[in-house]
This record gives sequence, C-alpha cells and structure tokens, in this order.
Amino acid sequence: MNASVRISVSSLRAHKRRFAGTFLAVLLGVAFLAGTLVMGDTLRAGFDTMFGNATKGTDAVVRSADTITTPGESQGVRRPVSTDLVKTIERTPGVAAAAPDIQGAGQLVGSGGKPIGGQGPPTLAGNWIEDPQLNAYRLAEGRAPSKSGEVVVNKGAAKKGDLQIGDTTILRTPDPVKVTIVGLATFGGEDGMAQVTFTGMTQADAEKYLTAKPGEAASIRVRAGPGVGQQQLVSDLTAVLPKGVEAVTGQESAQENTDMISSQFLTIFTTFLLVFSGIALLVATFSIHNTFAIVVAQRTRENALLRALGASRRQVTVSTLVEASAVAVTASAAGLAGGIGIAAGLQALFPAIGFPFPEGDLVISGLSMLLPLAVGVVVCLGSALLPAVRAGRTAPLAALRETAVDQSGASRGRAIVGGGLAALAVGTTLTGVLANPSLWLAGLGAVLALVAFVVLGPVASSTAVRILGGPLDRLRGVTGGLARRNALRSPKRTAATASALMIGVAVVSLFTVFGASLKATMDQTVSRSFAGDVAVSTPSFGAGGSGLSPKLAPAIARQPSVENAVGLGRGVAEVDGEGRALTVTDPVTLGKVFDLGDVQGSLDDLGTNGIAITRKEADKQHLRVGDTARLAFTDGKKESFTVRAVYGQSELAGDYVITRAAWAPHRIQDSDTLVAVSFKHGVSTADGKAAVRKVAEQYGNPEVQTRDAYAQSSAGGIDMMLTLVYALLALAVLIALLGIANTLTLAIHERTRELGLLRAVGQTRAQLRAMVRWESVLVAAFGTAGGLALGAFLGWVLVKASDGASDSAFAFAVPPAQLVVVALVGLAAGALAGLRPARRAARLDVLRAIATE
Amino acid sequence: MTTATTTRHAAGVTDAVKVYGSGDTAVRALDGVSVGFPAGRFTAIMGPSGSGKSTLMHCAAGLDTLTSGAAYIGDTELGTLDDRRLTLLRRDRIGFVFQAFNLVPTLTVAENISLPMDLAGSKGSRDWIDALVDVVGLRDRLHHRPSELSGGQQQRVAVARAFAGRPDVVFADEPTGNLDSRSGGEVLNLLGRAVRQMDRTVVMVTHDPVAAAHADEVVFLADGRLVDRMQSPTADKVLDRMKAFDGKGAPS
Repeated sequence: MNASVRISVSSLRAHKRRFAGTFLAVLLGVAFLAGTLVMGDTLRAGFDTMFGNATKGTDAVVRSADTITTPGESQGVRRPVSTDLVKTIERTPGVAAAAPDIQGAGQLVGSGGKPIGGQGPPTLAGNWIEDPQLNAYRLAEGRAPSKSGEVVVNKGAAKKGDLQIGDTTILRTPDPVKVTIVGLATFGGEDGMAQVTFTGMTQADAEKYLTAKPGEAASIRVRAGPGVGQQQLVSDLTAVLPKGVEAVTGQESAQENTDMISSQFLTIFTTFLLVFSGIALLVATFSIHNTFAIVVAQRTRENALLRALGASRRQVTVSTLVEASAVAVTASAAGLAGGIGIAAGLQALFPAIGFPFPEGDLVISGLSMLLPLAVGVVVCLGSALLPAVRAGRTAPLAALRETAVDQSGASRGRAIVGGGLAALAVGTTLTGVLANPSLWLAGLGAVLALVAFVVLGPVASSTAVRILGGPLDRLRGVTGGLARRNALRSPKRTAATASALMIGVAVVSLFTVFGASLKATMDQTVSRSFAGDVAVSTPSFGAGGSGLSPKLAPAIARQPSVENAVGLGRGVAEVDGEGRALTVTDPVTLGKVFDLGDVQGSLDDLGTNGIAITRKEADKQHLRVGDTARLAFTDGKKESFTVRAVYGQSELAGDYVITRAAWAPHRIQDSDTLVAVSFKHGVSTADGKAAVRKVAEQYGNPEVQTRDAYAQSSAGGIDMMLTLVYALLALAVLIALLGIANTLTLAIHERTRELGLLRAVGQTRAQLRAMVRWESVLVAAFGTAGGLALGAFLGWVLVKASDGASDSAFAFAVPPAQLVVVALVGLAAGALAGLRPARRAARLDVLRAIATE
Repeated sequence: MTTATTTRHAAGVTDAVKVYGSGDTAVRALDGVSVGFPAGRFTAIMGPSGSGKSTLMHCAAGLDTLTSGAAYIGDTELGTLDDRRLTLLRRDRIGFVFQAFNLVPTLTVAENISLPMDLAGSKGSRDWIDALVDVVGLRDRLHHRPSELSGGQQQRVAVARAFAGRPDVVFADEPTGNLDSRSGGEVLNLLGRAVRQMDRTVVMVTHDPVAAAHADEVVFLADGRLVDRMQSPTADKVLDRMKAFDGKGAPS
C-alpha cells in the first residue's frame, strides 16, 4: 500500500468519531438529493404508464387548433369543437368509433356537505363516453349513467367524500346540480388521475351544465378500425376536417397530458426539492470544511513529524485528501441507498395518506445514481481541499512547538475584502431594487451579500460573541464566562461553525419575511380596493374548485338588506394579439363595491362593445378613452371594442372589464370567482352576513366571509407553503447542528487537559456540562443573529425586486413574532447540539485528562 | 508505623492499596500504606520512579480512588463520597499545584486565582487574596493572560490559586519539575512561607532532594510501601537516603 494511503487509513481508523459528523452531513444531503431524483423519475414514469393505459384505446384526438394563453397560466384555453363533426368523422374510412369529449369544472360535495378537492388539482366533470375503449376512465363498480342526473365518479373522489353508489349529492358546475351516483370508475388502473376528481354525466347533462351552448365539446376522441395506424388515421382525418380544427394521434395527446402534469406539478415539485437539497448540501459544505480544518490543525504535530521524517508536501496533502475521499465515497454511497429508501418509503406512504402514487417499480436512472454520488464526493473533497493543502504546508519545525490549535483571528485583509464585498453587495442590490429594477441585479446582490456575510464572519464573531455572551457572565457566573471565552478562542472556527447555521436560518427568515410580506400585500389589496362588507367565494386555489354560480350575485342582490352585490367572472381573449384575462361583470355595480381609483370616462355604459382598462395596461397598449381595441375570443370571433373607461386600481377587479352581455356569445362554462356584497345603511354585518349565507346555501354553500376574514383567507395558501418550506429546511438546520456538535467534540478533545484541571480544582460535572452547552448556544446565537439579519435583508430584496418586476404593488412586512420564534429555535438548536459533546466532556476522567499529552 | 502523635492530621490514608489492571498484568501501585499529613506542616513525599508517590497523592487528594483502605481529608472519608461531593470537597477543602498546565488559558491571572471560589459562587476573603497576591508578587500581572507569563510566574499564580480558598491542605505534584532552579526556589519558598507564616498545610510530591529539603518532614516510598520518614531534612541527607534505594533497597 502507498504510504499516503496507509497513513490516512490508520488515521481514519483511529479517529472514526471525528468524522461521524462529516459522514452524517454528506449522507443526509446526498440522501435528500437522490430521493428527490428517484421520486421524480418514478412519478414521471408512473404518470406515463397511467396516461398510456387510460388512453390506449384512443387513436386520434380532434380539437380546435388555436389556444389563447394568458400570462401566468401554463395551459391555454382551447375553443370547443362542434359535436356535429362526430358524424363527419364516423363516415371517414378507417374510423371505428368517435365520441365527443365534453369537459368542464364540476366540484362534488361530499356526504358531510363539504366540497371534495379544490385545493390545487382540478375538479373535472364531463360526459361519460359509452365506448369503453375511448373512455379514459373504466367502470369499476355499478353502471354507466343512463338518464339525466345519474353520474359515475372516480373511486378516489368517492372515497374522499365518503360517497357510495346510490348516494345523492350536489355537483357544483358551479350551479348546483343534484346527482345520483350509479357507478365508480378508475383511471389507468388507479383510483384517479392523481388527486384530480372526475364526475361523468350523460352527454345531454354534460352539454346542458358544462358548456355554454349545446353541440360543443372540448375535443372528439376517435378509434381506428383494424389495420389502420394512428398516423394514417390522423392524415385521413385531417383531410376531412374544417379549417381551424386539427387531429393529433392518441399517443401525442397522452404525451401532452403527461407533459402538462410534469410541467404543472412534477417539475415544480422536484425543482423545489432540489433547491432545498442544494441548501442542505451548501450547509454541509461548511460543516465538512470546518471539521477538516480543525482535524488538520490538531494534527499539526503529527504532520510536522511526518515532514521531518521525509514525507513530501504532496504526500501529506494526498493522505488528507485520501481520508476525505474515503469518508466522501462511503457517505455518498450510504446516502444514495438512503435516498432510494426514502423514495421507496414515500411510494408506500403516499397511498396510505390518500395520495395515489402511480404504481410501478422505482425508476432509478443512471443520472439519479451518478449525480448524488458525484455531488457528495465533490462537496466532501472540495471542502477538504484547502485544509489538505494547509496540511501539506506544515513546517517540520512545528513538531517541536507546544500548541497545535489554530487561534488565529481575522486578518486585516479579510476585513477589507469582506467590507468591500459587503459594500458591493449593498450597492448592487440597491441598484437592482431601487434605481434600476432588475431581478438579476437584485439576485446577484443577494448572492454577494451571502458571500460577504461568510467572509466577514470571523471579523464579526469576536465582537458578536462578546455582545451576545455579555449577559452570560452575570447570569451564569464563571461557567458562563468560561463558555463565552471558549467561544471567543478561535474566531475563525466559531464563524465557520456558525456560518452553516447562519445559512439555514437566513433561508428560513427569508421565507418568513417574504411570506409575511405577501400576506400584508394581500391584506392591503383587499382593504384598499374592496369596499364591500362581505365576500362570497369558494375556498380553493390552483386549478381546483368550480367557482360560483353566476346566478348567485343576482339572488343576493334581491335580499332586502343588500345594497349592492356584484359577481366577478373570468374570461379570456386576445387583446390586440396578446392573451389576456378578462373580468366579466356588471361594471356599474363593480364601481360601487370596489374602489377602482381614479376613473376616466365612465363604466356606466359599456354595453356589448365597450371595455374598461386599467391605466397601467392602457399605457402599455397605448389606448385611451375612445380608442378601439381588437378582441379575439376562443370561438374564433374577432370584435372591436371601444375603450369607455380607464381606471386606476386593478388588484381585485382585474385589468380588463367587459359586461356579461358582451361575453355571452363567446362564453365557455359560466362561473364567478367572487361575489362582493355591500349592505344597506344600518344593516349590521352579522345580520347581513346571515342573509347572504341563507342564499348561498342554495348554491352549493360557498363560504361567506367578512372583509377581514376574506383578506386573511386569501393568504391561507401562503401558510401552507411556509410550513412545507420549514419542514424542508429542517434538514439544513439539522446538518448545521451536526456541524456545531462536531466542532465542539473536536474542541473538547483539544482542551482535555484544561477540562481536567477545571475538574480538579472543583468544577462539578454539571458545571462542566453547562459550560459546554452555553458555548454551543453562543455559537448558535451568533449564527442565528447573522442569519436573521441576512434573511431579513434578502427578504427585503426579494419583496422589493418582486415589487419592481411585477405590476402589482408589494408590501414589505417583518413579522416580529415569527422571527422571535426562529431566533428561539436557533438557540434551542444550539443547546441541543451541545448536549452530546457536553455529556462526553463531563465523562472525562480527571486524572487521565491531567496526564494527557 | 509507630509515629503516633497527638497532632491533628489535615489528610492521610490508612492501609491504602491501589491496584491497576487485573490478573497477570495487575500492578500494585500502593501496597498497604498508612500515613498522616499533620496540619500546619510541610510534608514531602519522595521515592524513585514507580514508587507510588504520585498515586498516593492522587488518592489522598480525591483525584483517584483506592482499591482498598481509606483516605481522609480531616475527618471526611473520601471513599463514601460520590463524584459530586468529591468535586465539592476538592473545590472547598483542597488546593492543587500541578507540574504544568495549572492555569485556564482563557482566564486572567486574577480570575485564575479566584477560580475555585467563583466555581463555588462564593466571594472568598478579599483581604486574604489581596495578601496572597502580594506574597506571590504578581500585583502588576493580575490582568494578564497565562500565555503572557513566564513558567515561574505561572507556577506562582498556581500557588496563589491553591491557597486562595484557605483549603485544609494543598497538594503539589512536582511543582518545580518544569522550572529552572531560581524560579523553582521561589515557588518552594512560597510554599514554605505559606506553611510557616500563614499556618497552612502542604503535601508535595517530588523527586528532587533540593525541593524536599524545603519541607518539615519527608516520607519515603518504594514499591508502593512507606519505607522511612525524616524530620527536618536537608538536601544532602535526603540525597543519601535516596541513594540507599539504588543499593540494597529499603530497610524496614
């Protein structure tokens, strides 16, 4: 065996414990990464199989060729096709069967009166296609709907809503439709298409409730006769189809569906997880670097002896690197196995909590094997590189020196470089945020700020620990004083240890501040532009839910206590060539319940060819009151609208407003997203709300909220998101804790003799433990304080940059209570990290400690 | 031994046996030693390497436990104390001066001196510590760190720390082992003055006859047994007695 390798192997064997922290840090980071990759691949493959199975019998899909896509929506709106085409298609040679596919939103109400789903995945309704091969859903129990009011629902939805065959319930389309369940269906062998709920009705019902006018379908599914290939079928169909209608193969359509799920859900999901595994690995880098730096410093005498005996610099460096590689490879391999285990566990766990995870074996691609391994090894070796080089530089004379502990403070150069970086970071950020709004500049500034914090850590650590530890002397007497001074011993080491925690806490505070700011923004939006007393809405986000019946607003308006009630519907159209979301409403009442700011022109008389636009959009499109805008609708019709009003505030009302009458000829499925109500003078909120609720009960029981409650519930999704983020960041914080514990363990090893002395002159074990714990808490406090400052700054940058980059105004809010909780968690984490090192230190044998060389 | 005296003993052991290891590799470091260290006296423990002198001190000072027999500080039997009480006893009733690494590097001289009292959370006697600082001659170094002091100065701080809490007995383990003869002499003079002028009790382990000559009495150990005692020693007398060990061993 090579001498360098032999030295590293024996050193590893002798100091297994020192590397336990490093091993765990790499393992956790790599496991997270590998688990994410494997789970992403497995889900993707599962969806592929599921869609493949579900649409096996469909050889071609006929649909309109154009879509209108509005900004911020991944999926365009496609105009419907006429069901008359079915006959034309059936007559085409090579076609065995064709069926219209009518699709719309339909939210089932469960047996407990609560709506099913709506929090993210779509809630779909459609016609139950009689031809079992063309129908993506398979009848699993019961029978197909044969008369009006009978429906088949997917098993997953039935389970969630506790519905059985024979039950009668409400389907919100959004008009409440009374339906009886006659059958249960599966999708591609699963209980449903992920969390998507589906209700299949008779074709007549579907046309009646889900489309604006009968005779329209989202698409037509076609099955080929024997011996006709999909390509052949498509080219045959293309020949007979009218202009603006296209045919695509069944395979292509299935692929599009998979891609859609991938882009909407999987890609976001996996990217999100990858970002957090990246953060965890970044934190790990600091911990690992620190461990190696300390180990190399502790081994100065040993290395110097090797050098004195004739080992070359290279041999000493290599032996340290070999040690690092051994740890890296074993930890990465263990992490990879752990990651695959996590993915397998989730695959088993998801169905148990009601999330159908597509069946199939785990998909472990070459990439998801190699990438985590490579990242683990690179992170570990990269972190050990500098310490290894330093080990090689050990002077042979160092063998004769007394101390081997790095007590160097921060150099002047570091202070200058760090200060320069910080100035540059602030400059770049301010330019990117205030002077010349640009997300890129702001992002660059944020990264620079992070680097500056890390570089300045050792410069700041002495002062910071002195201040943070100030109260300790008074509170904990000599124990606290000793802890504080121990934390001050090696500013570089303290800073490096704290940096890991700092990054974790910074990201946590960043999200906390950003989340609070988003909430404040929504609150501000509602309180600024919502002039009504109560809001009626269906609590849903994402593609879920079915909205409110357009009949609800007029019904509420008829109540004696109600002054005004206006429903806001959504439409889409291309305005002068750009896809835009329209607000379809009664503009006259709109102006009464919403504060539209400064209005030019009038909203009173939009008619069927008038439009109102926000000032911002008007400026962008160079439109003024009296100008003409060309609107192209999903049905292919193009119409000229006259700009009748330009208003100042958009937030809740949207950027473009047209009347219901103008929208009616082009409408798809009718639904309102919000009904805003104001009461007559003298009507108490409670009375008015009760009256509105009574009406709402007849329309599928949507939620009736006061203005404040509405503002708060708009932010409900943010809390859920934050919870997820916190859960994911827990791993990074855990790795940082391992780093603190490891550093402490190594420090205790260095101070063995000193600890022995303290014990000899009368320090009790409890005092010794407290001393180590407080040192840990101090280091954590430093990291936490830095993280809070950095996170708040980055949060501010993010809010301001978003403010500059987007159209709506963002509010900046610092939530003191949450940040205090973050700080306390950081401190508690420090105390936790110190537990084990403290216990080990207290177990030291006094005599042995005194005698230690 | 038959040196039964009426003097009060600050510390001592009776029938002390200490065995390290077990079976074939067992070593009897102390083999039935009974000795008392009289209060107000300066006693030196001498003996060749491996005689058990350090073990005797460690066991008498509560740093180590006896295999059998008993160790006393005053009337307190150490064997009955758990780790916590033993620690508190060391803190409150015993002072230590080790060969090296006596001081906590992060604390100043003044803080090192008051460390045992600070650990106890007591103020101690201001006048007493003040007087001690003057005796050891470190008034101008009080706010320095140990790393800024010479080896002799560090040991003088250790001596001050050992006496700061007015303990029943101060144990010194080769306190001059790392010092040149001048610095060593200063430290030994300090120990002597503490006993004679301030009525303290000192037990010192040493292998240096010159150091032993500062004591009031020397006890000689060989092979884990107490072999001789000498009152009012001089360096020459001690040296002669030690030479005898190299020859035919201990007379009983």
